Amino acid sequence: MEFPDGIPAFEQERQFLAIRQPANEPLVFLQSLSDADLCFVALPVQSVTRGFKLSMTPEDLEALGLESGGQPVIGRDVLCLAILSLEENAPPTANLLAPIVVNVRTLRGRQAIQTDSPYSHREALPLREAACS
Amino acid sequence: MLVMRRRAGESILIGDDIEIQIMHIGESRIKIGIKAPKSVPVTMKEVQLVREENLAAAQVRSVAALRGMLDRLIGGSPSAAS
Repeated sequence: MEFPDGIPAFEQERQFLAIRQPANEPLVFLQSLSDADLCFVALPVQSVTRGFKLSMTPEDLEALGLESGGQPVIGRDVLCLAILSLEENAPPTANLLAPIVVNVRTLRGRQAIQTDSPYSHREALPLREAACS
Repeated sequence: MLVMRRRAGESILIGDDIEIQIMHIGESRIKIGIKAPKSVPVTMKEVQLVREENLAAAQVRSVAALRGMLDRLIGGSPSAAS
């Protein structure tokens, strides 16, 4: 996938490979093609929250070559992934404020900050309580 | 914080070479035009949040922690009992 502007803090990383492994479904690994050590862990937004609707700016739509008349449909027009933060000693969170949006026809991607979004950059994942031992 | 009242079409100057113009006032949002030298980065404040979050997300984490998280993901993991 091509990211012409990179993503915030990683503006020089222009190409990522989306990797899915049957054993780790539904995770998606976003591996940088220019930095072997850079790999984000992401989830399709639908796995984080049901009914997620995109609210992209006209600038982001244009940058991805999408029609500016309405919002793209996840799954049909675009792939939409939430990057996960898995810090030690803290519950894992997903960035739903700025999902990775990829045009499925051109494979051009962008981290699209949502406008009027009810979601945060640190949205809790729907996890069951850890089993007591 | 300095607070100024402006109408649509009016501007604010910051220093000699930054101009902020109120272009349109809508119901829930306003459209702002910004003239600034190329050397001055202009971004939405959220970009800063996203930048910090991306840096945190890029940290190397253990595979075991990842598995533990996956096993607890509701409706996600194929091995999850329902």
